[in-house]
Amino acid sequence: MTKYEVMAILSNALDEAQAKEETKNSIVNKIKELGGTITFEDFWGTRGFAYMIKGEKWGYYFVVQFEIDGTKINELKRDWNIDKNLTRFMITSVDPKAPAPRSQEEIKKEWDAMEKEKKISEAESPKKGTRRPAAPAKPAAPAPVAEKAPAPAKEAKPAPKKDDVDKKLDAILEDSSLDL
Amino acid sequence: MPPKPKKFICTFCRNDVKHIDYKDSKLLSRFVTYYRSIQSRFHTGVCLKHQKQLASAIKRARNMALIAAVRYEK
Ligand SMILES: [Zn+2]
Repeated sequence: MTKYEVMAILSNALDEAQAKEETKNSIVNKIKELGGTITFEDFWGTRGFAYMIKGEKWGYYFVVQFEIDGTKINELKRDWNIDKNLTRFMITSVDPKAPAPRSQEEIKKEWDAMEKEKKISEAESPKKGTRRPAAPAKPAAPAPVAEKAPAPAKEAKPAPKKDDVDKKLDAILEDSSLDL
Repeated sequence: MPPKPKKFICTFCRNDVKHIDYKDSKLLSRFVTYYRSIQSRFHTGVCLKHQKQLASAIKRARNMALIAAVRYEK
């Protein structure tokens, strides 16, 4: 018994409810039928692709970690290759050194917290880097972060509810970054 | 004698990262160039052990369309 991880993309012809059913029927139950045990499950929901796959621009992402006998992986692969609702899948072995798996939501929250901290630190201490007159170039150096940071602040100021606007902006930023 | 400049330590070593996850696309996208090829360790200062992990993580993320493989000029 070794640990494996599957990331599957379900086609966008399905609804979200249908996609969740599909993951249960075609992925989770098939692993259980072959004598595997599931240790971690995470349904990401919709997500845009970085490039087109089979003429589709987005799909439902699903991640499962499970333990199974290594000889049965080929059977799983054969079944999933036939399945038309699966746009793409990838089976990887889990690194024993890797920490416990976290859901995508937790990872997102961590990134949001990090970015908030950065915004605060940038706003409070711009003078630390300005010993020399040439220093103003430094804050401009982390371009991808710096470009994103001022934009929400400008738009958020006139709006009364900051949290709602921030959430919407986050959603927009994520979409636009995926279109690159 | 002027003081020796501090040696730059790999960002993953500094944060005690044991394994780089391919699902963390935001992290991976920091270590690619403008045209989305893997940035060399000469420019990012990542140590060899972590660069190998990073490269395989980026390749996996590309396969699953989490990260773009190339940048097209519009
Ligand atoms: Zn390192």
